Amino acid sequence: MIPSIAVVQLNFAAREVAIKLVYYGPALSGKTTNLKSLHELTREGSRGRLMTLETKDDRTLFFDMLPIVFKVESEGSGMSLRVKVFTVPGQVVHASTRRLVLQGADGVAFVADSQVNETQNNADSFLDLRDNLKELGRSIREVPLVIQFNKRDLPGVRSDAEIDDLARRGKEPVYKASAVHGQGVLECFFGLLDRSWRRLEAEHDLCVKLGIAPDDFLAKAAKALGYEGRGRALGEACVKGGRA
Amino acid sequence: MKNLTTTPSGTTQHGAPDPTAAVVGDLPIALEDVVARDELDELCRSTHVLFGIGVRIYSSDGALLANAASELEICRFVNQLSGGRTACGNTVSAAKSVDPGEEGDVTHPCFTGLAYRIVALENDGRRVGRIVLGPFAPAGLREPPESLAQTEKRLDMVQASELLATVPRVKPEALGRIAKHLKVTLELIIFSSHKAWVTSKLHLFSVRESYKQLEDKTHRLEQALAKLKELDRLKTNFLATISHELRTPLTSIIGYSEMLGEGIAGELTAEQGEYVRTIHAKGEQLLRLITGLLDLTKLESGTMTLRRAPTQIDAVLGDVISTLTPVARKKEVELVFETEKVACELTADAERLRQVFINLVDNAVKFTPKGGRVTVRSKVIEGEGEDAAGGALLSPILRCVQVTVADTGIGIPASERAKVFDAFYQVDSSSTREYGGTGLGLSIVKRIVEAHGGTVRIDANDPEGTMFVVTLPASEGRRALPSRVPPVPSG
Repeated sequence: MIPSIAVVQLNFAAREVAIKLVYYGPALSGKTTNLKSLHELTREGSRGRLMTLETKDDRTLFFDMLPIVFKVESEGSGMSLRVKVFTVPGQVVHASTRRLVLQGADGVAFVADSQVNETQNNADSFLDLRDNLKELGRSIREVPLVIQFNKRDLPGVRSDAEIDDLARRGKEPVYKASAVHGQGVLECFFGLLDRSWRRLEAEHDLCVKLGIAPDDFLAKAAKALGYEGRGRALGEACVKGGRA
Repeated sequence: MKNLTTTPSGTTQHGAPDPTAAVVGDLPIALEDVVARDELDELCRSTHVLFGIGVRIYSSDGALLANAASELEICRFVNQLSGGRTACGNTVSAAKSVDPGEEGDVTHPCFTGLAYRIVALENDGRRVGRIVLGPFAPAGLREPPESLAQTEKRLDMVQASELLATVPRVKPEALGRIAKHLKVTLELIIFSSHKAWVTSKLHLFSVRESYKQLEDKTHRLEQALAKLKELDRLKTNFLATISHELRTPLTSIIGYSEMLGEGIAGELTAEQGEYVRTIHAKGEQLLRLITGLLDLTKLESGTMTLRRAPTQIDAVLGDVISTLTPVARKKEVELVFETEKVACELTADAERLRQVFINLVDNAVKFTPKGGRVTVRSKVIEGEGEDAAGGALLSPILRCVQVTVADTGIGIPASERAKVFDAFYQVDSSSTREYGGTGLGLSIVKRIVEAHGGTVRIDANDPEGTMFVVTLPASEGRRALPSRVPPVPSG
């Protein structure tokens, strides 16, 4: 078992918080596309270079990583938030890499393929996520998680009504996306960021230490990324889990 | 998030640093780790040559990584005096530590009126170092500033002014473009190197992780194997014990039924006599089975010892023929012994070899129909060695005795020939009922022959029947063999 590393890095002296978000899901479900869209949709000043370690045939060999660094206003001097978004390689053979990348994740977005015939692959990958978290000494119940049904633009996908129905059977918020067109990407990202922040807040009392109320965080982050006044609306553009 | 410790910088992290954190976590990179210094120097020199401005690269902790600057006349002039040297030193150390501000781009003035342009290098949203360009003369500079005269009273201001005038003026916009270009180039190099570094590290971690999993699996397999070996050993012991314990009462059954049959306890009626003889015959059959089992378990456990002595094969075969001739005659099968009568000594356990050939000849007679023929031949051949390696050199010195037992019986299909040597195997399970036998004989034959360093195989005896070919190495060609029959290789 790999020892779990620091889940979040907090540097109170420098007023810096680093958050690690991981996009997980079956092969070819569009995790890298999500990151590429996110890269395009965030302000140039806040995003770093998108690091993609992909092979010639467009399959992710190890992972992709997009750093998003921005200042969040707060009482006093403000603070710097470093969000690192990773994708895992979806192909079954890269199991050990998936586990390595998953280490220390503060939140997980599960990118599922909406196509009906991918149902089994989605489920298998989710079980793999659960097993890998367990191997890392963590429970899937305690990791902030959102689900994205991607590829809504393709034929042969589940209908919206079906997805709404599926969402009601689970606990996690479900986002509908077409990452290749940039739809649903920000929504999913903000939703995950909000959930992850709330979890960190609960564990580390960030409100007291950094002067940011949990309900204000998302609005501030959205503003810093160029979406002033839209944070909450974006983050809540999902089907809430029926058993949340 | 338990066991958090706070480092002097205030960073909280778990006690033990994890090497993977640098790759999949958020640890800052060190510029020194991701760029090649010599090549960085080259880039700075070429920029220096191109624009005539000094270029220095510092890491975020102030270490000088590359330096391409030629000393300006004015600088050399000022540095001749101690006050100038001190002030110059102060300016240079300020340039490598001054905060480049929010924008990451500041101009830092020198007391001579010249200036430095400082540009932050960023990677992954962090400042990892800086470029220091200069010293250069800003476009508007005409006269040496007051600060120069104040720094060193002994300085010849007229000459200083003349020297300052020779330094080419640089417009801030032009310098900005140079700085931006250098920054973009360097950041690209840093990013690419960082990416390569991450890839190689992750590759390493992945392989290590897969290796750990394999190691774990191997460990579990080894444990399972050890357990199975132990079970196998227990089974062999159990068989040996049972076989031995079964023989004791059987000896009494055979002995007493024999005595009854001989009429020692009084005359028997014909019917009683037949019953008793049946008991006796079946007892003998059971004893052979048990003996076979015992031999097999001895062979398996490696406890069968060979008592080797100089042996002539023809003597062994002659004995076997005379033992089995009555059996063959009864079945009306012709049993022939052909020998080249070449004296060739074997170092063998004659009793075990006898067992081998009794088995083979008895089998051959059993599976040959009435009127058929079983031929036993012996001859000396040049050896083949255990494998083909060095055959050209070794075969002349290896001599072997080859014995063939050929019958005109039902034959064995080519695909079955290797299997018949497995314990309890019969080509056709119905043949057990027709011909009797335990299915142990040939597996024992094979092990004994191999224990003598020999081989046994089956050839077809055209047009019909089977030919068993036993090859045994002659004494002079023998290599040192274990005195014990090696146990069956398991696993």
